[in-house]
Amino acid sequence: KRRRVSENQEIEDRLESLILRVGEKSTSSLESNLEGLASVLEADLATFRSKILRILTDCAIKMPEKCTIYTTLVGLLNAKNYNFGGEFVEYMVRNLKDSLKACKWDAARYSLRFLADLVNCHVISAGSLLQLLDNMVDAAKEDGVPQVRKDWYVFAVLSTLPWVGRELYEKKEQALEHLLVSIEVFLGKRSKKHHAALRVWALDTPHPQEEYLDCLWAQIRKLRQDNWAEKHIPRPYLAFDSILCEALQHNLPTILPPPHHDSYQYPMPHVVFRMFDYTDCPEGPILPGAHSIERFLIEEHLHQIIEMHHLERKDCAAHLLNFPYKLKIPLDYSIVEVIFAELFHMPSPRYLEIVYGSVLIELCKLQPSTMPQVLAQATEILFIRIDTMNTACFDRFVNWFSYHLSNFQFRWSWEDWDSCLQLDPEHPRPKFVREVLLKSLRLSYHQRIKDMMPDSFESLIPTKPEPKFKYAAEGAGSLPGTTSAHKLVVSIRAKCKPEEVLHVLQDLPNPRQDEDVDPRFNPLKIDVFVQTLLNLGSKSFSHSFAAISKFHYVFKELAESEEAQICILRNMFDLWHGHQQMMCVLIDKMLKTQIIECSAVANWIFSKDMSGEFTKLYLWEILHLTIKKMSKHVNRLGRELAEALERLRHAESDSDESEDGDGEGNNNSGQRGKSGGADDHEKPSEDMVDRMEERLEAAQADQKNLFLIIFQRFIMILSEHLVRSDTDGRDFNTHWYKWTIGRLQQVFLVHHEQVQKYSSTLETLLFTQDLDPHILEVFHQFTSLRA
Amino acid sequence: SRGEQERLLRTSTTMYIGNLSFYTTEEQIYELFSKCGDVKRIIMGLDKFKKTPCGFCFVEYYSRADAENSMRYINGTRLDDRIIRTDWDAGFIEGRQYGRG
Repeated sequence: KRRRVSENQEIEDRLESLILRVGEKSTSSLESNLEGLASVLEADLATFRSKILRILTDCAIKMPEKCTIYTTLVGLLNAKNYNFGGEFVEYMVRNLKDSLKACKWDAARYSLRFLADLVNCHVISAGSLLQLLDNMVDAAKEDGVPQVRKDWYVFAVLSTLPWVGRELYEKKEQALEHLLVSIEVFLGKRSKKHHAALRVWALDTPHPQEEYLDCLWAQIRKLRQDNWAEKHIPRPYLAFDSILCEALQHNLPTILPPPHHDSYQYPMPHVVFRMFDYTDCPEGPILPGAHSIERFLIEEHLHQIIEMHHLERKDCAAHLLNFPYKLKIPLDYSIVEVIFAELFHMPSPRYLEIVYGSVLIELCKLQPSTMPQVLAQATEILFIRIDTMNTACFDRFVNWFSYHLSNFQFRWSWEDWDSCLQLDPEHPRPKFVREVLLKSLRLSYHQRIKDMMPDSFESLIPTKPEPKFKYAAEGAGSLPGTTSAHKLVVSIRAKCKPEEVLHVLQDLPNPRQDEDVDPRFNPLKIDVFVQTLLNLGSKSFSHSFAAISKFHYVFKELAESEEAQICILRNMFDLWHGHQQMMCVLIDKMLKTQIIECSAVANWIFSKDMSGEFTKLYLWEILHLTIKKMSKHVNRLGRELAEALERLRHAESDSDESEDGDGEGNNNSGQRGKSGGADDHEKPSEDMVDRMEERLEAAQADQKNLFLIIFQRFIMILSEHLVRSDTDGRDFNTHWYKWTIGRLQQVFLVHHEQVQKYSSTLETLLFTQDLDPHILEVFHQFTSLRA
Repeated sequence: SRGEQERLLRTSTTMYIGNLSFYTTEEQIYELFSKCGDVKRIIMGLDKFKKTPCGFCFVEYYSRADAENSMRYINGTRLDDRIIRTDWDAGFIEGRQYGRG
């Protein structure tokens, strides 16, 4: 008997591998492979029915690029065995319904597409599919549900039409027209406030940055004009027309979209990124136009390849270059455009930025004769159009380009960009070069950067990243802290204890004696301590970190209030303003070790002292890392609480099932666990859960406070600028203004999940109707993201 | 033991980085590896006698996922013009920073 089991297992495995691999390169034609496979499966249907059903559905969802191959196979099976066809449809319908309920939007879309393509294979009737599409478009007519829900249902229908449009047009022209009219009405009424926030460029020249549904709608309209003739999708079922048209068709059951639930998360809207058209590409196959459906299908397919292989950058590059229709399109251009589309995707890229950077490196290695040139051309285009690029994308462009250069010996023809030297230094072009050099410096070293740049670029080359220790500089003798600073150097070098540091500092006079706010706050003590200590640790990050942790106690003693913490930051800046990376990691460290609080960093960034640094990238890097630190903290507490509640619930239902009287004993054992991270299986006590709730609430209050500070400071600084420009009769739309409003937008978008929670507070407290419309607009764009 | 070692490697958040230039600094490594996540600490490999950097280091992350990403996206790319290699490490132990002289 055992032998039969293992034999069956072997056959199952063989069937699975045959099904998985059909359509791959082979010596015989796809048609004969499909025909052969259909016969094999038919013979095994009696024994392996459910297994075959499962494998086929899996393939349909996991390899959507092979959709038409599998629909043909199902079509052939249906022609041989009508019952099996029916079971498969049932199976697939269940898949669609489950995916919709589980908010697996892509899986749902692939199921829908598969069902639609089964109409082409005479498995499903055109009428019943149209009914399903109608029901989905009806979901877009519901009232009181988020727009993103309606958007998705319409998107799902539209993105299915390239597969089945022609068939529906031939068989049910009227009903198809009716469907399209409903969609057009919906699109006409749709709010697009989010569009401006999500675009990569503010300008629509040379290429419009279209909202994704608008773009797809234009593509579908064009497809309809062309009588639904589409040139990209392979359709193997056409070869089997004589067999398939004999088969009986099934009717889809009535499928209604599951009603909206507040816990449902729908995909956010996006903008279709376009940087090339056919004039950018050399002679050869032509890049399909922006509104041709082929452009949509190619892009969708390339995005899918990235999704499938993003964990293996080499495979990813190889699969992209192996695109099945590569001879019909300028593939390098399509790939580069799609990768930048992901990198610049708003509010955030799908994967880490380095995923895209490392795939681009592999592409250059695999295709050294063309890819580097295309990438250089792309960089040039991005640089030329940088004037209206949104600030978040500007940062990603800087990060990618410096990283890319560091992987290719920093070779670049900078001379081609020397016209940017004539521009205002705050103009995005010189700014870009300067920021790229700063980031390159972090991955390299100063002399290297100096050597690689033409002399004419001197004004943009960063200074050498060194500490500026004022107590050792010329003329330091007249400073009030010099003597103590020198004593401190000696003590710390002699490996003194933290208490002794306080002793050395104790005689320093307090320059703010008149103000009796916080007598413990002595800015001179902080000055001497912070600058001396950090200078002694200046040799490397590790040295600095060690110094901070050894004298943690002193920091805490000297700087309890926020004002004092800001004083620490000012002194760190005083010493390290020439080394941006150092400032970023020091602040990161001081936040982690709770020497400074997030709110102090935020207030420091917006303080007068930092106005000269305000448009520099690193300062915003610091703000974002600060906000992220806070978000991580809140998320962690939330997760721990949820886990504890889950354990509590579990323990209760367990004890319900068991004998009575266990409850109290459990409670006691719960108390043995330390507060917080108790053992996974131990039931937490009510007390513990209460404490965790309190901690979470406190953290959320801090988080809310942090956002209130940041947005309030933005509003103040922007309002002031707008009013002043108005009274002075000057144009408000300066470089400074564009950078600042861009940074405000960035905070909203990068942290949208966190900010969302406080949206109504922000609306009542800060973003009120009396605010300047320019500022209010940014808030409204944000709220419409999930509207 | 071997099993223990394998278990450590499967859960480790520490990477061994090799083929670094002797001139590559902790700062440069920090910058590159931070692209995959929050770096907890970096321990520079030092020449046993001269106590100078000698071409390797350990990078420790807070999370396993970030370390996995560095394995995926940094291994085999360049830093300071050298193709660097990343490998899982069972965890840094004091003393291991000293390479062969």
